[in-house]
Amino acid sequence: MSAGAKKRIMREYGECLADTPPGMKINFDEQNMTKWEVLLDGPDQSYYAGGHFKLEINFPNEYPFKPPVVAFKTKIYHPNVSNDDKGSMCLGLLRPDEWKPPNKVVAVLRLIQTLLIEPNIDDAIEPSIANEYKENRKEFEKSAKDWVKRYAK
Amino acid sequence: MASTPARSTQPAGRREMMFCHECHDEWYRDEKGIICPECQSEFTEIIEDDNDPRDNFERAHDDDSEDDFEDSLPSLEEASASHHPLHHHNPWAEVDDPDEADISSMRFQPTGPGRFHVQATIHRTISPAQFGVGGTGANSMGAFQSLLANLIQGAQPPHTPRDGLETDGQSESRPGGDEAPRFTRFTYSSNAHLHPRDDNHPEPRNEPVDDINGVMNGLFQLLGETPGVHHAGPGQSPFGDIPPNPLMGLFAAISGGQHGDAVYSQEALDRIVSQLMEQTATSNAPGPASQEDIDALPRKLISEDMLGAEHRAECSICMDEVNIGEEVTELPCKHWFHHHCVAAWLSEHNTCPHCRKGIKGEETSSNAQQDGNRGSAATSGSDPTSSMPGAFGATSEGVSNNPNSNPAPGQDGGSGGPGLGDRLRRGWFGSQQD
Repeated sequence: MSAGAKKRIMREYGECLADTPPGMKINFDEQNMTKWEVLLDGPDQSYYAGGHFKLEINFPNEYPFKPPVVAFKTKIYHPNVSNDDKGSMCLGLLRPDEWKPPNKVVAVLRLIQTLLIEPNIDDAIEPSIANEYKENRKEFEKSAKDWVKRYAK
Repeated sequence: MASTPARSTQPAGRREMMFCHECHDEWYRDEKGIICPECQSEFTEIIEDDNDPRDNFERAHDDDSEDDFEDSLPSLEEASASHHPLHHHNPWAEVDDPDEADISSMRFQPTGPGRFHVQATIHRTISPAQFGVGGTGANSMGAFQSLLANLIQGAQPPHTPRDGLETDGQSESRPGGDEAPRFTRFTYSSNAHLHPRDDNHPEPRNEPVDDINGVMNGLFQLLGETPGVHHAGPGQSPFGDIPPNPLMGLFAAISGGQHGDAVYSQEALDRIVSQLMEQTATSNAPGPASQEDIDALPRKLISEDMLGAEHRAECSICMDEVNIGEEVTELPCKHWFHHHCVAAWLSEHNTCPHCRKGIKGEETSSNAQQDGNRGSAATSGSDPTSSMPGAFGATSEGVSNNPNSNPAPGQDGGSGGPGLGDRLRRGWFGSQQD
């Protein structure tokens, strides 16, 4: 990783520290600054309220020319988070062909928060969950809250 | 199967023999008629030399009542012992029970409740002529192996002695010349299921003991390594030029080498679609800019009017602050960056990292100006800060990239990937989602 990339990550961390979006905590390890651990509270107005989710943000060597990689380490029942041991997210500005260098991590974090409040079912990674969200919101809510109780407390 | 030895033959004097399909009784027609004397069934048949109903019955019966490994060792029946060229040396020649004669080593290993693993090596000496007529054999696997042997041999100059064919000990075939007996060693391992036996009642058919992947892999191994073929001289055989594995191309075409990638659920399919989209996403991205184009970009010194509202500005790639008098590189869309920063991006994509406008400036200047302002809060094209990436806050970026805004597919040339993805999804899953 280039010195420029490291410098930029440091800068972004400084910016995040100064202006962390509410309900978020970033654990930053200077020894391994390309891997951020984010503790995210489920937004109050979402089905995930009360849950605490651990995320991992990995910066590729080509950062900021390639997007950071976001993964939910805490299981979450969500159309835009893969329902496997990876918990990966790949949509919107995180998509390799939509990412642009001026995007910032803080925008990524805000995007994730927004998605917890309102999933993007048109760009779902889990189509069956997206379908349930669309067709059977009650059932979705039940599962989402159940998973919060089971995994995110 | 007509030569099966352990079978009562037709009586002398051509008396017609009857067979009952219900109770499998046998009797002479001239003694007891055509109705079964045992069960009074009318489902009976006259046994003839070329039509022996007991064949079918016994074969089906064999499959169920013989040991399981009989099924998993099909090559045992591929040739009847009477055709054996070394027939008189073989004390087992008259016995159609190869279990002990031909299996040189057999490992029997329980792998779990109701499952076991059998591995055996069979030695058979077979005249090559038999392979030609082997197709009429009743045992399909035996016939199949003969077919394979023919294929391998067909790709092989028949008169050329060849090295052994070895595939990590799984199978080995050593055909000699045309006249010499063939020595075939074929190791077949299988997972079979054990069921309690009941001789008095028909039993259900066993499940297939091998899944298709195992069989295919075995075939690939058998066909995939036939050494010595490339050494064949051109004049030696009309088959000398045939590629070594005539079936490989076909198999490769059918399976694509990915018979393990079958998907059984919508999730799995979607994951593959996503994977494909990710792979193609990069190919949808604009290509790199040439070094000349990068070098030809105008340099500019930062001036007071290029600074943002707070009288400061930064290169939006490295996020370093830039000061008045510093040199930056400006793209046709008026966005500027450190030269080394934007050059790193342009060596991968020939568009502005900020607004994705092409850097060649082929668009009219008014278009470029408009697009340069897109996404910024400023409405006036003359506002110098509007074209300054450093002046854009993270918030506006977040909003403009919010996926919930869901831009129409194909609206933006740069978002061809997701547009394609959307169309794919709609095409494949539309009926379920709508």
